This record gives sequence, structure tokens and C-alpha cells, in this order.
Amino acid sequence: MNKWKKKQPATTKTFKRPTLAGDGFGGRAGFFFSRALTNIRQNVFVNVVTVGTITLALLIVSLFLLVFVNLENAAENWSERVQVTVYFDKELTAQDQSAFREKISMLPGVSKVSYVTRDEALRRFKSRLKGQETLLEGVRPEVLPASFEIALKRSYRDTVSVENFVTVLKRIPGITEVQYGEEWVRRFNSFLNFMRLLGGLLGGFLVIAVIFIVSNTIKLTIYSRRDELEVMALVGATRFFIKAPFLLEGLMQGMVGAVLSVVLLFGLYEGFLHNAGSFLTFNPVTSGLSFLPPEYIAGLLLAGALLGFIGSLTSLKRFISV
Amino acid sequence: MIQLHNVSLAYQQDASALNNIDLKIAKGEFVFLTGPSGAGKTSLLRLLYGALTPNRGQVLIDGQNITRLPASQIPLLRRSIGVVFQDFKLLQNRTVFENVAITLEVLGWGRADIGKKTMHILKLMGIESKYNLVTQRLSGGEQQRVALARALVNDPKILLADEPTGNLDDANKNQILNIFKEANIRGTTVVVATHDRRLIEQSYKRLVTLNKGEIVEQVEKETASDDKDL
Ligand SMILES: Nc1ncnc2c1ncn2[C@@H]1O[C@H](COP(=O)(O)OP(=O)(O)OP(=O)(O)O)[C@@H](O)[C@H]1O
Ligand SMILES: [Mg+2]
Repeated sequence: MNKWKKKQPATTKTFKRPTLAGDGFGGRAGFFFSRALTNIRQNVFVNVVTVGTITLALLIVSLFLLVFVNLENAAENWSERVQVTVYFDKELTAQDQSAFREKISMLPGVSKVSYVTRDEALRRFKSRLKGQETLLEGVRPEVLPASFEIALKRSYRDTVSVENFVTVLKRIPGITEVQYGEEWVRRFNSFLNFMRLLGGLLGGFLVIAVIFIVSNTIKLTIYSRRDELEVMALVGATRFFIKAPFLLEGLMQGMVGAVLSVVLLFGLYEGFLHNAGSFLTFNPVTSGLSFLPPEYIAGLLLAGALLGFIGSLTSLKRFISV
Repeated sequence: MIQLHNVSLAYQQDASALNNIDLKIAKGEFVFLTGPSGAGKTSLLRLLYGALTPNRGQVLIDGQNITRLPASQIPLLRRSIGVVFQDFKLLQNRTVFENVAITLEVLGWGRADIGKKTMHILKLMGIESKYNLVTQRLSGGEQQRVALARALVNDPKILLADEPTGNLDDANKNQILNIFKEANIRGTTVVVATHDRRLIEQSYKRLVTLNKGEIVEQVEKETASDDKDL
């Protein structure tokens, strides 16, 4: 900060404009920053309310994001289970097996084809009813069907593609009994789409609210300093010079609000959410919600800063006309 | 330095504040602008520092047509013009020092330079001992000097002063007048708007009289007209 304190040549008795010592971006940024801080200090209450509101708004958004990200992860997990199964009444001969396997593998979108024998089917059935094996007493492999399980490539897992696939599959002679499914997974996916829409609306609404609030705070600050701004303009301050401290103020409000909301979110997460929602996954190891990934956190901080900046900008646009 | 061609200005329709003004002021001149209240003195000065644009005509400062100046250039114009406003426009709850330093802050000067230059001009105005008082607590004459210091601190090419001796006693008036003269001698073009006949009689070289928005009389003293390039 002291870089302009270098010695003046002894001859500068007549005050020429100094060689732009404090003109460098550093010097100016320091000046703008200290002015922004002065603004905040003079309107502490309004600034606290603003930061609080930004925090709350971003907290709501980030809570929503947290839940959404977890739901999406779960959906991702489950959609691994979207598969098409072809049932056969009889066990297939090795020849039939390879013939079907070949035909099925040639269809577009197939990632894996596996044959499940009647014995294998029974074993699975048993393991699912662990502890209640007595129910299965007397059940013989012959009552269960043999099947081909067809896993689909990721991009073929949505409802329409699966249905198209099944239509094509059924054209293969000998294939009649087809189940595809996990109907509820697909329904869950459309639920997620609905959530996406809802989140978009909620987010949009909160964004507008935050911009409005920041813009009003800055307006109050500007109003309380209008005399000074007028004088600054009259002695030759550029618009940028007048605006910069207010833009910085908005930026700081947004960033502080964003940081606080992330801290609060983390608190809430550690306190409550961490263990909630184990119903979302099948894998007991990863049960519970996971925290937002770092890129979302970065996004939130950036969004806060941006909102503050835009809010301030909109108020300046209408207010400063010097 | 200053040229007005055919300038007309109306705040509202069919109530013109200035009418067909033609005026040339050369570099280094010292001009008094006078006329009854409402004649348009303040309005004319406002045109010169770009606070108003005329409805008709051209205003040239240093060869530059400021009626055509984009808004972003106005600040640069104002940096070469010092203005003492009729109502001072001092920041009431700021100190004398802060009120004067603002002119330099706006230019991005460093703190140490601002300190030196500001104290220097306050000394010239004879108010350096009050540098840390809020302007609210100054007498009228002292406030006037702060306003003058703020206008002069950046060594402007042009000094515009609107009724700068409004409520001063004779001793103070003379001091202020001397400050104007010194600035003028250093090369600043000075335009002073005032009703104060005594002040004018005592020292004018060139006198422009306005009435109802028109120039009704221009007087120039022989002694002063020899070295002007008008
Ligand atoms: N902001 C304004 N809006 C509307 N009319 C104005 C405005 N400022 C001045 N006027 C009008 O313009 C005319 C000239 O005003 P101006 O302030 O230039 O006079 P002046 O010569 O400076 O008077 P004074 O000696 O009282 O300061 C007056 O009739 C005044 O009513
Ligand atoms: Mg006036």
C-alpha cells in the first residue's frame, strides 16, 4: 500500500500531477475496497439484513440441490437395474442359447446379455427370502422360468427407447414372454424431471428476490451518500469510479451470504441430513445422503457473488445519472 | 478558451433562461459576469462545466465542442475546471481536509500526495488550522474558502466562481479576490459571477452583464486588453 510513498524529487515545489502513483489498479482497488467498507459500516443494519436474506435464499436453494443431487444419484443407481428379461418355459439347449444370444446381441443398445438357468433363478429367489426358507420348501427349479437378462446401454434406458427395443426384440421368432421394467424406476425418473422443473422455478424466484433485495440495499446506501456522489461527479469522477465501490459492496454481500449459506448447510447436513434418507439406496454401505460435491459448492459461491453484483448493478443503472 | 455561439437554454418550454448568447473568453482572462437575480449567470456557468446542455448553439472549451461530448468524456472536462458553487456543495459532516481532498481522490492520487497538496492549498487559503473540523462548524467565510480550495487544489485551467463573496466582510472579500488574482496570474482563466458592484468596480478588467438571459453589456478596461488574443 505504500508504494506511492517513494521520495518526491526535490524540485516538485509546483505541484504537478504525481506520476500516477496511486493510479495503478492495486491502488484504486484498495481505495474502492475501503470505500465499500465505509459504506457497509455506515449502514450496518441494512447490510446485515441483506446478507441474512441472501444467506437464507441460497440456503433454500442449496438444500434443494442437496436433496436433488442425492435423488439423482439414487436414480442413477437404480437405472442400472433397468433391464429387459426374456422368459422361456423350458430350459434352452446350449445351441438355442447361443443362437438367441447372438440375435439379441446384434440389436442396437444392448450392452450385456446373460442367460439365467432355472437353478440360478431358484438360488436368487432363495437368497431374497433369506430367513424364511421354509416358505420355499418343496419349490423345485422346474416351476421357475429360465431367462435371458438384457442390460441396455445408458442412453437406451429411458422409457421410449426401452419400449422400442422391446418391440424389436419381440420380432425375433421364439421370443414371446418379455418383461421390462422396474416401471417404478421410470416413474421415478419422470418425478425427477418434475423436481427439476420445480427446482428451476424455485431457484428462478429466489434469484429474482435476491437481486431485488441487494438492489434495494444498495439504493439505500446510494441515497444516503447522494451529496457526496454529486460532488464527486462535479469534480470529475468517472462513472466507473463512482460505481465501483457499490459494485464491490454488492459483490461482498453476495459472497458473504453464499459462504454463510454453505456453512449453515454443512451444519444442517452434519446435524440431521447425514443419516436421513437411507431409503434412497439399496447399498447399505453408501446409505444416507452425501454432501454437495465441490463443484456445486463453488457454483453456489459464484452464484452468490454474481447475484450481489447484478443486484448492485441494477440499482446503479437507475440511480446514478451524473 | 471558452466560446459560446448562439447559445439558448430553456429549463421549461417557452421560458428561456439563456437566449442567443455569444461570448468568447481567451486563455488567461479574468471576467466578471453580472446581472440581476434570475438573469442566467448560474445557468451560463453550468453550461461550461457540462452540467447542462444547451437547447441550441455550441459551447467550446479549449477548442472542444462540449455539447457533442459523450457522457463518458464529461468527467475529463471537469478535471480541468474548478467550480465554486453558489451553494458551496460542501459535505457537511466531513472535515475540511476531506472536502478538499475529494478532488484529488477522484483522480486516483496516492494518499501521501493528496495530503501534501491539500494542506498546501489550505495554507494558501489561510484555513490550514481548521483542516480537521467538520465543515458544518465553520463560518460562512471559512466555508467559502473551503469551496475555493476544493476548486483550486488541482490547478485547473479554468476557475468558475458563482457568487463567491456572498456573505463576506470587506477584508475577507479582498482576500478571496486576491486568491482569484493569484490563480489568474498562474495562468488560470477565471470567470466570476456576482452581483457585488463594489467588488467589480474595484478590480474588473472585463465585465459581462446579463439580463433576462441575454448579454446586454460588455465593458473592457483599456489597461487590461493589450495582451489578450481576443
Ligand atoms: N433547475 C432549474 N429549473 C427550472 N428553472 C430554473 C432552474 N435553475 C434556474 N432556473 C431559472 O432560470 C433562470 C436563470 O436562473 P439562474 O440561476 O441562472 O440565475 P442567476 O443569474 O444565477 O440568479 P442569482 O443571481 O439569483 O443566482 C431563472 O428564471 C430561474 O428561475
Ligand atoms: Mg445564480
